[in-house]
Amino acid sequence: MNLLIRQARVLNPASNFDQVADIAIQNGRIAAIGAGLSPTEADQIVDADGLIACPGLIDPHVHLREPGQVAKEEIASGTRAAVAGGFTTVCCMPNTNPALDSPEMIEWALMKSKQSARCRVFPVAAATVGRAGEQITEIDLLSAAGAVAISDDGDVVENPRMMKHILQACHHAGLAFMQHCQESSLTVGAVMHDGAVSARLGLVGWPREAEEIIIERDIRLNRTVGCRYHVQHLSSGGSVEIIRRAKADGQFVSAEASPHHLTLTDEFCAGLDGQGYNTSGKMNPPLREQSDIDAIIAGVVDGTIEVLATDHAPHTAEEKGQPFETAPFGIIGLESALGIYAQALVEPGHIDWPHLIAMLTINPARLCNLDRASRKNDGLGEIFVGGAADITLIDPNLEWTFSMNDVAGKSHNSPFFGRSLRGRAVATIVHGKPQFTLNDLAASAAH
Amino acid sequence: MGMTAVHARSSRSVLGIAGEPIERWRSILEHASQITASTDLVGRLVATAFFEDSTRTRTSFTIAAGRLGATVVDLSVGSSSANKGESIVDTARTLAAMGVEALVVRSALAGLPGVIAQELPELVVINAGDGRHEHPTQALGDALTIAEATDCPSFDLSNRRVAIIGDVGASRVARSNVALLTGLGASVVCAGPPTLVPRTLEGLGCEVCWSMDDAIDGADIVMMLRIQFERQTAGQRAIASRRAYRSAFGMTEERAHRLEEHVLIMHPGPTNRGLEIDPSVADGPRSLIKQQVTNGVRARMAVLAACLSG
Repeated sequence: MNLLIRQARVLNPASNFDQVADIAIQNGRIAAIGAGLSPTEADQIVDADGLIACPGLIDPHVHLREPGQVAKEEIASGTRAAVAGGFTTVCCMPNTNPALDSPEMIEWALMKSKQSARCRVFPVAAATVGRAGEQITEIDLLSAAGAVAISDDGDVVENPRMMKHILQACHHAGLAFMQHCQESSLTVGAVMHDGAVSARLGLVGWPREAEEIIIERDIRLNRTVGCRYHVQHLSSGGSVEIIRRAKADGQFVSAEASPHHLTLTDEFCAGLDGQGYNTSGKMNPPLREQSDIDAIIAGVVDGTIEVLATDHAPHTAEEKGQPFETAPFGIIGLESALGIYAQALVEPGHIDWPHLIAMLTINPARLCNLDRASRKNDGLGEIFVGGAADITLIDPNLEWTFSMNDVAGKSHNSPFFGRSLRGRAVATIVHGKPQFTLNDLAASAAH
Repeated sequence: MGMTAVHARSSRSVLGIAGEPIERWRSILEHASQITASTDLVGRLVATAFFEDSTRTRTSFTIAAGRLGATVVDLSVGSSSANKGESIVDTARTLAAMGVEALVVRSALAGLPGVIAQELPELVVINAGDGRHEHPTQALGDALTIAEATDCPSFDLSNRRVAIIGDVGASRVARSNVALLTGLGASVVCAGPPTLVPRTLEGLGCEVCWSMDDAIDGADIVMMLRIQFERQTAGQRAIASRRAYRSAFGMTEERAHRLEEHVLIMHPGPTNRGLEIDPSVADGPRSLIKQQVTNGVRARMAVLAACLSG
């Protein structure tokens, strides 16, 4: 199918392009970008007046749960959620069962994605065998098999010597290492932020230092290695300051923020009356305080944090219906993410749409070697003639209320139901094919 | 199970002291102070489900229900596998179908009674201790004890100062007591080592202090707590040694001697004798420990009567 997107505000942060223009898509690739493009015989015309057309959104941190936990999610359902949220690319974390810790498992994940995924899926491979922290994985071979980054996400790499070895191996393979920053001796039994709310509810608290000291340690270890070191889902204001200083010092460090850490505090765990237990507020790392939210937003504004990631973590209703202490950590995020980001960052005027789109496209593409520099014409995260036609159409003014009906994945563990949002993906085009449309895409066919 | 698992309060259940109007507890206390055996609850069915071992609290509830004529079924299953929310809710649903009106629950998991109450709004759920969260009927018995021992018949404790000493952070008894006693007007100070008594407890409405001697200075009541070794996670002991703890935070005979004459000593039991409290103090003239046990039954009678009336 050939498409002609007309009169969109084309945002391509990689080239600082921000103009009203048409985009012609032929055979899955961008054929032309410009004003007043004329339709060909086969074109379906999309009237995009008032819409943003940007590179397909990329989420570098999702859990697709396949293999091993398909009651929560699978590649088919997780990527259905992705395209419903405007994402054309997701990077899936290796904490599946079995873990994505061998070239064979990476090949399996890619093959399975080819069969069932609605968008592009790139696996992140484990740093240690079985994510057990004891034996390093074959990082060069994982890279050759198609892994786009290395992480033991869900668990920290605890041993400093092992950590240094992994940083060296990632540097050799040219892959970023993504750390789940959690000094586990400080979080034994912990289920939420260590503060007034945990004290009130009688729950064991998870201090900010648990995150901060791992970041400090790793930056120190990486000083002589120079691997691209990436902090996942940072939750503490102190972490932002550590990363800001390291960047000023010339260290290769990057960081991601998640929708919930931009919008919710630990009070959310106590439910509506402040005395209950709301398991949709239970995540790892935990929701913290308003001062942390403010610091994370400041980090986004000044570029300390350059990537946004949902940490989409589906769990079944039975699992999340358990008492707070035994319920699993994590929430879904793909379907609501764009609206939440816009609400937290764009609406209050902290950043503009081009900045937001950069954090969702070219920045994660560079982090995971998906950009044009790494993949030539198959480069993702930007729009260019000859490149893959991964395009997200966003209505920045669409007002909507996120509800259960908007969930396209298997699980419904979201803290955001009932939230009024502004801004939503109305079409998600992957390799030239609309994989999600909110309403009928085409105003009309040509003729 | 509810998708979002927001465990809100039901009106008749007793899930915790905090967050409820103090009038609710004051009227239960007033009833408890004059309650006597009756046949008010004849033909009513109460079940106890203790997923964590406890002889004294379960027995206290059983006696309380029996004094009012209710029939008590006990399905205590001390096993940890039964602590999973879903299976417990299923069990509760079955009990409700058999005609059980009130379920007395103890669990190692904070908020478990709330999960059951949310899923089964027709059932009265009474929290007999949930993890580190709350133990409301213990606090009601303790408030009754304090009011009677310090001559406050209208439960106005505004001139009373209570020091709670020990493992406060892990203590559901302390959480319920701070909420109830401050609600009744008392001032409360909590003390213990920083590993067990974090500053964040100030959010409960009490003072926090890391010196026992400072905390008991000026107190009318000193409530000692049991060190809950079972809630200290493996490899993470919060105290250096028993003797070091006793020296800093134990109600030793020597400390008890230094207290002003009118000061009374409480302990929710069971005691680690010789650790947080010396045996001679626990059994001595200042001790209210026996009254606490007696009043626990009276408080539970009043709670059952209030929950099952109407």
